Amino acid sequence: MAHPTRRTILTTGAAALAAPALLLSGRRAAAAGQVTVLNWAGYGTDEAWAIEAFREATGFEVVHDYFSSEAEMLTKLRTNPGAYDLVAMNSARFPEAIADGLLQAVDLSAVPNAAEIDPQLQKLADFGQDGTNYAVPWVWGMTAIAAREGLTPAVDSYAVFADPAYANRTAFNDDPVIAIGVGALLTGQDMNDPADFDAVAGVLKSFKPNIRLLWQSEDQWNKSFAAGEFDVGIYWSGSTVRSKRNSGLPVEFIVPKEGAIGWVDGLAMPAGAPNPEAALRFADWMVDPDFYLRWATEVGAPASANARAIAALPADDLSRKVHDPAHLATISFMAALPDERRQRFSDVWQEVKAHYAL
Amino acid sequence: MRSEGATAPAHSRPESMVLPAWIGRTALLAPTYLWLALAVFLPILAMLAFSFMAATPSARQPVVWTLEHYRAFIDKPYLVPVALTTLRIALVTTLLCAALGFLVALALVRSVAGRAREVLLVLILLPFWTNALVRTFSWTMVIRDNGLLDLALGPLLPEGATAGFLYTRAAIVLGLVHGYLPYMVLTCYIALSSIDRDLIEAAQSLGARWWTVLGRILLPLAMPGLVSGAVLVFVPTVGAFMEPRILGGRVGMTLGTVIEDQFTQAFDWPLGASLAFTMLLVVLGIMATFAGILRRGGGLGLAR
Amino acid sequence: MIAAGRLLVWGAIAFLYTPILVLIAMGFNASPLYELPFVFSTRWYEALAENRALLRAGTNSVVLALLTTAIATPLGTMAALALARGRFRGRTLLQLLLLPPIAIPWLIIGTAMLIFFFWVGIGRGFHALLIGHVALALPYVVLIVGTGAAGIPPELEDAARSLGAPPLRSFRAVTLPLLTPAILGAALFAFAVSLDQFVVSYFLATPGHSTLPVQIYGAIRKGFTPEINAISTILLLGSMAVILLFLLLARPGRSHGQG
Repeated sequence: MAHPTRRTILTTGAAALAAPALLLSGRRAAAAGQVTVLNWAGYGTDEAWAIEAFREATGFEVVHDYFSSEAEMLTKLRTNPGAYDLVAMNSARFPEAIADGLLQAVDLSAVPNAAEIDPQLQKLADFGQDGTNYAVPWVWGMTAIAAREGLTPAVDSYAVFADPAYANRTAFNDDPVIAIGVGALLTGQDMNDPADFDAVAGVLKSFKPNIRLLWQSEDQWNKSFAAGEFDVGIYWSGSTVRSKRNSGLPVEFIVPKEGAIGWVDGLAMPAGAPNPEAALRFADWMVDPDFYLRWATEVGAPASANARAIAALPADDLSRKVHDPAHLATISFMAALPDERRQRFSDVWQEVKAHYAL
Repeated sequence: MRSEGATAPAHSRPESMVLPAWIGRTALLAPTYLWLALAVFLPILAMLAFSFMAATPSARQPVVWTLEHYRAFIDKPYLVPVALTTLRIALVTTLLCAALGFLVALALVRSVAGRAREVLLVLILLPFWTNALVRTFSWTMVIRDNGLLDLALGPLLPEGATAGFLYTRAAIVLGLVHGYLPYMVLTCYIALSSIDRDLIEAAQSLGARWWTVLGRILLPLAMPGLVSGAVLVFVPTVGAFMEPRILGGRVGMTLGTVIEDQFTQAFDWPLGASLAFTMLLVVLGIMATFAGILRRGGGLGLAR
Repeated sequence: MIAAGRLLVWGAIAFLYTPILVLIAMGFNASPLYELPFVFSTRWYEALAENRALLRAGTNSVVLALLTTAIATPLGTMAALALARGRFRGRTLLQLLLLPPIAIPWLIIGTAMLIFFFWVGIGRGFHALLIGHVALALPYVVLIVGTGAAGIPPELEDAARSLGAPPLRSFRAVTLPLLTPAILGAALFAFAVSLDQFVVSYFLATPGHSTLPVQIYGAIRKGFTPEINAISTILLLGSMAVILLFLLLARPGRSHGQG
């Protein structure tokens, strides 16, 4: 009893050492038959029913780690070699990940469903390098406009963000690639490599009176829209489907005349993946029409890269209508950006935001 | 416990057996600072090194050393007004917290006695135990147009008017004051709870007016608490990014959001880190300026 | 005067609890998008009972926060006492060193920790989380306890010692009782810092294991539902009950201070 303080510390120390066992028990046993996936939270791969069905079919347990930005995803890949079996990645990020040696080649012959993948997507995207393929193309989608149903004047252009009829009634996406992209499309430039950044910054700055908020997540978009804070916003195609069908929001997805901003996400295998065969089996599961049908119709999803999966959707399905292949003609797809240009995008967007704020 | 100390037999030791002061001091300090060194200082030093690199280190390209990111406020002049706005928001937040925190702590010490006082103090600190994001989101429901504030004020508001102020700087300050006020109440309470009530009554019986009591007795005694509280409020609010983003809408750009964007959007650690270290220097500079004024008050070492 | 003081205290409590009441009420509102008007429903509590991931994350958070508090409070108190007594070389530097962990946004510290822990082989997992959480809580404990220690006249302990009490005993008999409110307050904040800390957990938790804030921030992509409010409410009311019971039962007799 002479040294209560020291005793407390010792007891605490012992508890601290015992605790990891407490929290990590159950993991060790499963590690052998486990697929560790790195992805956005709530983005297909972590649907409980899909994981359960995969475990029943193959015996592999699927475990997730999440990222909340692409930069964070790359950081996690770099600092956790050998930790992940599969990572979901925007095609525009592949070239730098490949150059950094973060990924390993993917043999598509081991992925039966890959045979049905839209050849156009494979061509458009940055999935391969020097004839080597690094991805199972997974889903594609659009970033364009979502608006309250029945608005007048009707929305058909990104110029709506400068239309006085919508003063203080719009929400813009706080993302430099999307922001510069919209500015470039409105000024008739290549969204991946605009020549005239001043014109882009000028048109974005002209949006100031209309912009109520800058959103960063689907959550923020839905809740603000439901509260009636804005009528028109930049939004993602798959999210619009979810908002309308699952949350009952009166919203419609609009591809303006300048075209949508397109993206393709692939499933990649990190270099040193501990369980590559299981990883490819899970990737195959993710591009399977059966999985996609349930994901798209019950949850709401972007468009599958698998043409047969799209064809399996009911004709009147909202996901199918939103992801009309006709849009592919006007979509500008995100391409890989060299570091300097990505930094330039960020600087211009920060400057525009400073203009909004002050 | 008190009586135990008084009645215990005297254990006087020969002077030669008493250890030099620095050994005891080191033993007390070592666990904290070694822990901080491993988990915070060394990682921050790594970040400091990154801030002098041209780009985020990667296997693709060799490391190039540069000072260019420390010129950010010159090369990117739009950052200067953003930084000034940020400092103003942090300052207003700190002043509001100081005024409110001091008064509430004083009221706790002077108007509430015994166990009720402890219960009330705990009630004031406990909102801090909820998730900051959920808490901040709850504020949006209160202060948005046609939100709960409008609902509560309903009959008082003219037709069609709103008391909502979401997506303004005032909303950011509200969120920050709410988030950081408990620190100030606690530190002021700790400082004030040692005030001798007789001293105030003696002063009053000698004819001292309330402002004399406030200025000559209460404020000097509360000074250590105000100083620590100011550190605990001002320092983190300068770098805050969650409240500005959620409550600020279009005007929610602060130094904190610029730094965050460098890590989440631009993947430019060097710029983000150099901005953070510049911010740290500015904060330390402001603290040092005020330290002179606060020196007289004593209290926490920073003020001495 | 006393009535005005009480009014002020209750006013502050009303302000601090405004969003908390909204948070609790929305846990009982049927709308997943937190829409009004209010429609009473217990569906989110029913959903929470089924949501094993969220419940496990909540348990992880509480265990981690308790351990963090149990470690950071005594260590930080020791450091605060050493800093409050006597002047020695390097004291100002040691005090200034407490500021960077508070000033530099957690996102940067989290990223730096992830990289550094990877370099030196600490890696990820519960041990890494604990190291990080304790480190972030320590400066708060030192600053808060330091405020309390600054208000104690050193003569008191000197007096006890000059009467022959050994240092530890004079500490227990004289200093500790006077420091109790500061130490309790510091412990409450250490707990809060850990409970709300998501960046470090996000980077350092083992895949498949998470804490409550990680679940909340992760859910943002698709949208978090009032289940989050439900578990926050349970946590808050539970901890409130525990602390108030402790205050009311554990220490009969006069409270500290000149109350």
